[in-house]
Amino acid sequence: MKFERNTLLVLGLIALAFPLLVGNQYLLHIGIMVLLYAVLATSLNLIVGYVGEFSLGHTAFLGLGAYTAALLSLRLGLPAWATIPLAGVVSALFGVVIGAITLRLRGPYFVIITLAFAEVLRLIANNWVDFTNGPMGLSGVAQPALLADASPLMAKRFYFYLALGLTAVSLYLAYRFVYSNNGRAAVTVRENRFVAQSVGIRPFVYAMRAFVLGAFLAGLAGGFYAHYITFVGANVFGFAFMVSMIIMVLIGGKGTLIGPLLGALLVTLLTEYLRELQELRLSLFGLIVMAVVLFLPNGLMGFLNHRRERNPSDAADGAARAQGGPA
Amino acid sequence: MRKLILAPIMATAVMASAAAPAQDTVKIGLIQPLTGSVAYNGTADANGARLAVKERNAAGGVLGKQVELIIEDGQCSPANSVNAAEKLIQRDRVVALVGAFCSSATSAVMPVARKYKTPFLTGVSSEASLTEKGNPYFFRSAETDALLGKAFSRLIVDNLGLKKVAYIGVNDDWGRGSAKAFEQELSGHGVETAMIEYFNHGATDFYTLLTKLRGSGADGVFVAAETQDGSTLVKQIKQFGIDMDVFGVGSWATSDFIKITGDAAEGIYAAVPYVSNLPGERNERFVKDYSAAYDHAPGKYAAAGYNSLNIMMDAIDRAGGTDASAIVDGLHATDYEAPNGRYRFTRDGQGYGFDAALVQIRDGHTDVVATTRIADPRADGAKDGQ
Amino acid sequence: MDMLLQFVANGLVSGAFYALSALGLTLIFGLMRVVNFAHGELYMLGGVMGWLATTVLGLNFFAGLALTLAVMGACGWLVDRFLIERVRDQGEEPSILLTIGLSIFLTNTALLLVGTAPLTIEGPLPNKPVFLGPVVLTELRVFAVAACAVLILAAHLVIRHTRLGRAMRATFQDPMAARLAGINTARVYASTFALGTMLAASAGMLLGSIYSTHVSAGGLVSLKAFVVVILGGMGSFAGAIVGGLILGVAEALWGGYISTGTVDIIGFIIVILTLIFKPYGLFSTQVERA
Repeated sequence: MKFERNTLLVLGLIALAFPLLVGNQYLLHIGIMVLLYAVLATSLNLIVGYVGEFSLGHTAFLGLGAYTAALLSLRLGLPAWATIPLAGVVSALFGVVIGAITLRLRGPYFVIITLAFAEVLRLIANNWVDFTNGPMGLSGVAQPALLADASPLMAKRFYFYLALGLTAVSLYLAYRFVYSNNGRAAVTVRENRFVAQSVGIRPFVYAMRAFVLGAFLAGLAGGFYAHYITFVGANVFGFAFMVSMIIMVLIGGKGTLIGPLLGALLVTLLTEYLRELQELRLSLFGLIVMAVVLFLPNGLMGFLNHRRERNPSDAADGAARAQGGPA
Repeated sequence: MRKLILAPIMATAVMASAAAPAQDTVKIGLIQPLTGSVAYNGTADANGARLAVKERNAAGGVLGKQVELIIEDGQCSPANSVNAAEKLIQRDRVVALVGAFCSSATSAVMPVARKYKTPFLTGVSSEASLTEKGNPYFFRSAETDALLGKAFSRLIVDNLGLKKVAYIGVNDDWGRGSAKAFEQELSGHGVETAMIEYFNHGATDFYTLLTKLRGSGADGVFVAAETQDGSTLVKQIKQFGIDMDVFGVGSWATSDFIKITGDAAEGIYAAVPYVSNLPGERNERFVKDYSAAYDHAPGKYAAAGYNSLNIMMDAIDRAGGTDASAIVDGLHATDYEAPNGRYRFTRDGQGYGFDAALVQIRDGHTDVVATTRIADPRADGAKDGQ
Repeated sequence: MDMLLQFVANGLVSGAFYALSALGLTLIFGLMRVVNFAHGELYMLGGVMGWLATTVLGLNFFAGLALTLAVMGACGWLVDRFLIERVRDQGEEPSILLTIGLSIFLTNTALLLVGTAPLTIEGPLPNKPVFLGPVVLTELRVFAVAACAVLILAAHLVIRHTRLGRAMRATFQDPMAARLAGINTARVYASTFALGTMLAASAGMLLGSIYSTHVSAGGLVSLKAFVVVILGGMGSFAGAIVGGLILGVAEALWGGYISTGTVDIIGFIIVILTLIFKPYGLFSTQVERA
């Protein structure tokens, strides 16, 4: 717990200083994307890592958040400080409904039903032309008013700190959740559902709380996405985002707070820097994903924790390490 | 632990500073979908663009320097295209951007181009509203759905003599826009509408759609689809025994389309802004060079890539430097002799003046039935924003 | 009425095709508990191999199919021995991530090698219309439906009535007991994956001859196959057939009477309803619930 908290603080300080040290806007843009994905991966990790169910429909909440923010901004002219939290709230409400249905299922059935929900929402967004503008998408989502006269560099810094704020909120909520009775109960359920039930934990209730919190955070990320990219189309519900998120969580190490952050950082940098390889880029990316599964089965955090356990000087910390276990 | 996290950031910073400008070339960025479901068309566009740059460099380049074309994969996704644009502008320091293909991706890149004051030209995206957003850095050397519909409706009515038409489009912005535009224009010429239906990109079985088509009582069917979907649809129209005039928009008048569709392609009409057997010496030269480079004749998207790069390079030459506002002025002054006519721009940055052709596929070849000119959209007193 | 008949006929034909393209998935998903996200890419590779065999090597359709099956079977075997083997018994997450990685690799490597153009495979029969009263089919479609039936039957016979099939069923019921009984379970797993791959590849080639194929065709196929498998219940061949037919007819009717633009939604709606009311598939007798 101490190790995890300290690392998070150090990471936070580095992130705070980053925009001041770096004037290159491309790097800032990548930094913003890393933070956006960090929020998404953290939110997905609540479900994959702490409920222990594998959701492939998490883009439902990213998409709902993005569309909520875009529609509120374009149709009602609400400012970003209102649309982004509302995006989280709308996603959380849908999270209640979808969670109530899907969390009754386990294993592969849960995988497929969550995917089905995301696909249904994608198809609705793509076809309900009067409301969502269909495949033409929603363009020109307003940026915050105070950026009207800002230089591109200042705007980038603003977005970076906004994304950093969202990441901090996500981590704080996730941290509070994980180290609360809720979180401990959720981990008990993940590790052994029957034992959990026998000591009076109702798995469904705890899974539901994690699911709704995850939906809320993904909705915030969606709201941020809408204002930053300024265009929202049905592809925010698409499988491509899902694949990125899931790879980040599992490569970083599910069931830890730092893992998804590491995953977001590594995967975003990897996909950008593999651009140098042009055509070979995605083939290589696929190979890397496979290699990670084979050689780092518990992700980077699993690997690091393993190393720390073998290294006696870190043993005190190691005892309090995050609970990343095999599935 | 900390070292592990810092390492990639350091590497990033180092790579970025190493890529700092050493401008002995003029860099132009091209964003196209090179992977994913539209990769086929994006690759054709990139091939055309490469040829244009190669030719220009052989003739001395622009501003006395060689042109360096940097191609990035945007996958037709808004977020990935923005990533590509940020990289091209900020890291590679390109002086101008071309591309993004899908209107959604182009729409997401437009604010980036504006923010960094980088001239941005699309040779493909057809969503009409793109040039109505008042973005001074944005230009389009392609027809909008409405312009194409307007140019062709008369020709179609005269040549095919249709009374009642069914409209089928791929379910995206382009397919919906095209079906709507043609429906509106043809209705204006007194043609009845039998039905309007959309199908999803990548669909393989159209029998349900064709059952509806057969029952609709239409004597002609309009199809907005690209090579993959279009060839499957046309084949199934013939299999289904439907005997209607088929005419469509999309990359239909290409050798690939005819090869894939086989006999079923016989007799269909295509309304295209470019076909490889357009008359004229300028086009002959283009087709010869393109075929020599890629072993097949160019289609609509290859020509779009070729033209958009040439227009951009002309504008940079005209600007006499790489200053953005000078390039924008250069683009406004465009009068480019393309394989398919002369391109000019309206004040909104909408291209016009080039030719489009109605072709029919006969004996495995494309026959140009008629050509028409994409008219200046201001000519009929329509919008003139900004 | 004529329209309805034609819609149902269309639905049954495309339903048979859905069933065929889902067979490989139901085998691997149902017996090995591997949620194979590379299924669509194996299907795509079958089409690409079929195109290489018939167009580039100039073989006829059936020789091409035999070659495709041999090559893809070997690929499936290797994938299992070198990849799936190493994450066996670790729950579903590693295998999902592994197959997602594999699908990204296969799609983009195929794109590098054969390019992005649509590929057509010369079918064994002409695509001439056949009229059955008011209903239109084509010879090739009738043939393909028959071929689906033959493949489904053959796979069923392999599993029910051969030594390998018995070993497979034993292994998946109780791997430990199967090992004790002298069954080489590693080989059984690999054979199952190879068989699933061959089914996916044969579907890819057969349907490639009716429609056309291209390197990014896999994603959509995977999605539809998941729908079929969930409807029919995992690991059940009969279920896959019924699931495929339900999906095919439902799509045809939705497309026919509502709109073709939204046709993909009906499959997912049926999946959600099925999982709410019959969580283990329409035909499953399993009653275990969390």
